[in-house]
Amino acid sequence: MSKIKRLFSNYIFLRVIRAILTVFIVATLTFFIVRLMPGNPIEIYIGQLMSQYGMSFQDAKNQAAALFSIDLDAPLSKQYIIYMRNLLRGDFGVSFLSQGTPVSLMISAYLPWTIFSVGISILISFTLGITLGMISAYKRGSIFDHIMSTIAAILSAIPNYLIGILLLIIIGVQLGLIPVSAMRGTVSPGVKPGFNWIFIKDIFSHALLPIMTYVVSTIGGWTLSMKSSTLNTLGEDYVTVAKARGLPESRITFAYVGRNALLPLFTSLTMQMGFLMGGSALIESIFVYKGIGWALGASIAQRDYPVMQAVFLIITIAVIVANFIADLLYSKLDPRIKIGGE
Amino acid sequence: MKKVILTLLSLLLVVSLVSSAIAGGQFNGAWPYTPPPVGHFNSYATNAITLGMYWDLIEQPLAMYLWASGKWMPLLATKWSLNRKTNTFRVYLRKGVKWQDGKTFTAKDVVTTFYLGYLYNWAIWRYIDKVTAVDDYTVDFHMAVVCAPMVLERYVLRTQIRSDAVYGKYASQVIALLNQGKKSDSDEMKKLRAEFDQFRPDKMVGTGPFILDPKNLTESEITLTKFDGYWDAEKIQFDKIKVYNGETPVVTPLVMAKEVDYATHGFPPATEKQYIQMGIRIIRPPIYSGPAIYFNHNIYPFNLKEVRQAIAYAIKKEENAFVSLGDSAKRQIYMTGLSDNLVPQWLSEAVRKRLNKYDYNPDLAAKILTGLGFKKGADGIWVTDKGTKMEYELLVPAEYADWAAAAENAAEQLTKFGIKTTVRGITYAQHPTEVRAGRFQMAIAGWGSAHPHAHFSYYTDLVTYNYPSGLGPGMNFPLTQTTKSVGKVDLDKLITQSAEGYDVLQQKKIVEKLALAFNELLPIVPLWERYGNNPALDGVRVTNWPKEGDPIYKNSPYADNFVTIMILNGTLKPVTK
Repeated sequence: MSKIKRLFSNYIFLRVIRAILTVFIVATLTFFIVRLMPGNPIEIYIGQLMSQYGMSFQDAKNQAAALFSIDLDAPLSKQYIIYMRNLLRGDFGVSFLSQGTPVSLMISAYLPWTIFSVGISILISFTLGITLGMISAYKRGSIFDHIMSTIAAILSAIPNYLIGILLLIIIGVQLGLIPVSAMRGTVSPGVKPGFNWIFIKDIFSHALLPIMTYVVSTIGGWTLSMKSSTLNTLGEDYVTVAKARGLPESRITFAYVGRNALLPLFTSLTMQMGFLMGGSALIESIFVYKGIGWALGASIAQRDYPVMQAVFLIITIAVIVANFIADLLYSKLDPRIKIGGE
Repeated sequence: MKKVILTLLSLLLVVSLVSSAIAGGQFNGAWPYTPPPVGHFNSYATNAITLGMYWDLIEQPLAMYLWASGKWMPLLATKWSLNRKTNTFRVYLRKGVKWQDGKTFTAKDVVTTFYLGYLYNWAIWRYIDKVTAVDDYTVDFHMAVVCAPMVLERYVLRTQIRSDAVYGKYASQVIALLNQGKKSDSDEMKKLRAEFDQFRPDKMVGTGPFILDPKNLTESEITLTKFDGYWDAEKIQFDKIKVYNGETPVVTPLVMAKEVDYATHGFPPATEKQYIQMGIRIIRPPIYSGPAIYFNHNIYPFNLKEVRQAIAYAIKKEENAFVSLGDSAKRQIYMTGLSDNLVPQWLSEAVRKRLNKYDYNPDLAAKILTGLGFKKGADGIWVTDKGTKMEYELLVPAEYADWAAAAENAAEQLTKFGIKTTVRGITYAQHPTEVRAGRFQMAIAGWGSAHPHAHFSYYTDLVTYNYPSGLGPGMNFPLTQTTKSVGKVDLDKLITQSAEGYDVLQQKKIVEKLALAFNELLPIVPLWERYGNNPALDGVRVTNWPKEGDPIYKNSPYADNFVTIMILNGTLKPVTK
């Protein structure tokens, strides 16, 4: 017993070390890659003022003067050491483009909204997807299966931002079923955050369109994966044996087929953690939803290096932690799999 | 008795309904902004929530410019004058103006505004060395370098005035450092600037007719509410201005849903067409700039003016304009590097007659090239007298849809003529860097400037992407040239001189010289001038839009927006229901 315990501890220890190493590598790569991107915050700002507003170079340069306090000419090695030193202290630095605004403050303002909208949509999409996928598999060859599979294939092929725009234009503008302007953003003006019905109702109404978009754009993938996985499971010997033993159909469906068919999808679900933390820059921009994806999109457009680095790092950590948790949970879901390869 | 009460109640109801319809007017606009915590209310620092054209309604400037008449509309200033003996520009301020926090507007606020501008190297400080409050309502700007009155006027009058109560403590530190002889590049000044960059007032306090209350701000919209203490409050017809946040793709559905009364975003021609079909009017104000073909003059034969002229003849500029931006692009008529809208103001009739319009003439273009000893090969491509094929790359910022379309069309037309041109789109972020570094053959970049003084247009045309900018060789066009039209010229010197001194007639002569030289040399080939395609919704919330052709629409929407002016002078009115 103590041997297994020791091994278990050792395995976790190794995984933790590996995770830290991955985070370190990603942090380093991100630091250098964002600086390799064409242009810098000052050039971009001046260029935008000139091309968009017909501003003269002198005036644009003056307007961008506030940005010149950014020391982009400091040696890269020096910038890197400062960045890593701050990172070890949990300090992501301050935004280049809004001097004095800590990146951590920005993340704490944006991230909860992404977790809220994407989290709910993953939950809905996953639940609906696996249900529909299972039904399709059970009704293989039926009209329902054909229709479902076709719809799922179409939906999974359409980019989510296109679905977002279509929802907005068709439901909001053409049909006028929803108030387009009132549903933008995360919360209505004047609604104070708190655990009360007004606030909860308000944030759900604002998140409705992003959630619908995420669900519509991902449900097809879950449905098809679950259908395929269920079909494979239905052909397994233990299902035939269960049927031969005369077990109730509901028990076979949920305990034998459903549980086993779900296992491969579980890995995909954990991978969605990155999406949960990163959101979608395009969707959040379309609906003016103050999430982390929006912040990332804006920071990339403006080359706000500290914000970009922080968001990429958070996504990486989220994926690593989710995988780690998935590994641990896998053994619980499937007793055949043992931690540490035993 | 019962009847009388009922009649009175009905009257009261009617009156209240009518008055609420009039007083409750709302104007809906759109402008991109960054919400807190990145966005903030320090209107000097980047990412401040200033709302572009709506800023003038919150932190009001001293005056706004009416482009068609060349006159100013006084706001916080009542009059101004230039003392040519003492080189002083004196501004008399409006009395009785209150800040939104109840304090009185005085000369101190103006002094504070400009000294904090020194911290950010505002262009005006290239000419002035001192701003002094003569008394509570008079401010003097002393010029160390004499510049054109129009240039100085614009720098002074068009600046949004900030509250001394909010910013004064930083301005006084700037003044103290200047008194100690510390300049803007001193460590002390840099330190102060870094500190001030981080200053975050909890709200924006202005003198304008609308209040930006952070409570009415979300990431999707801001509602500005009327400031009853505004000095000209009776002219303001709207109680609220709602500004939707977002760039073009985000604002488009709102315009289509008739939720936006006016927007300045650059809408694609297809979207614009849909707006028109929906009954939304499109206003096309001049932007005073547009795209041009820039040449790398280090590359033979782009250093020959005849080749550049041939290229100008080989492109049907009307077609290029239309395919790029529909009715919101107009070919350059005078080809002077100055907006055609500014030409009557700067160039005499006699000079205008001397200008070559470079109308489409491929035969003449071919004749010019043949005259240089160039020959057309069997493959239809021109070969220079040095034996090199005329095959080039045209660099364009890929994200700018209208410029990219202009590049594609120009390349197509040039290839058809026999100058094989391939478009290479690169990210807008890298494009200026490549052009400034001279890493291009031909490139699309901007010409002109939304400034009424011609100096700024010529600076953009000849300096911004050229070696005098100090940011790289750029197109490397030598600014000392010998021309047929005006003889030997130093264009760099002429550009500087065009904004110096008080003699406006002398400046016009210099600008005429620049225009003639540009027209002959064509260092760059302007393709077209951009006009806005601003949707203006009539009759839903807002009415009384002036008819097309009204002089107010000559105002640049990004420099002195005509809607802002029409809200201030009461032209635009709410719909009464």
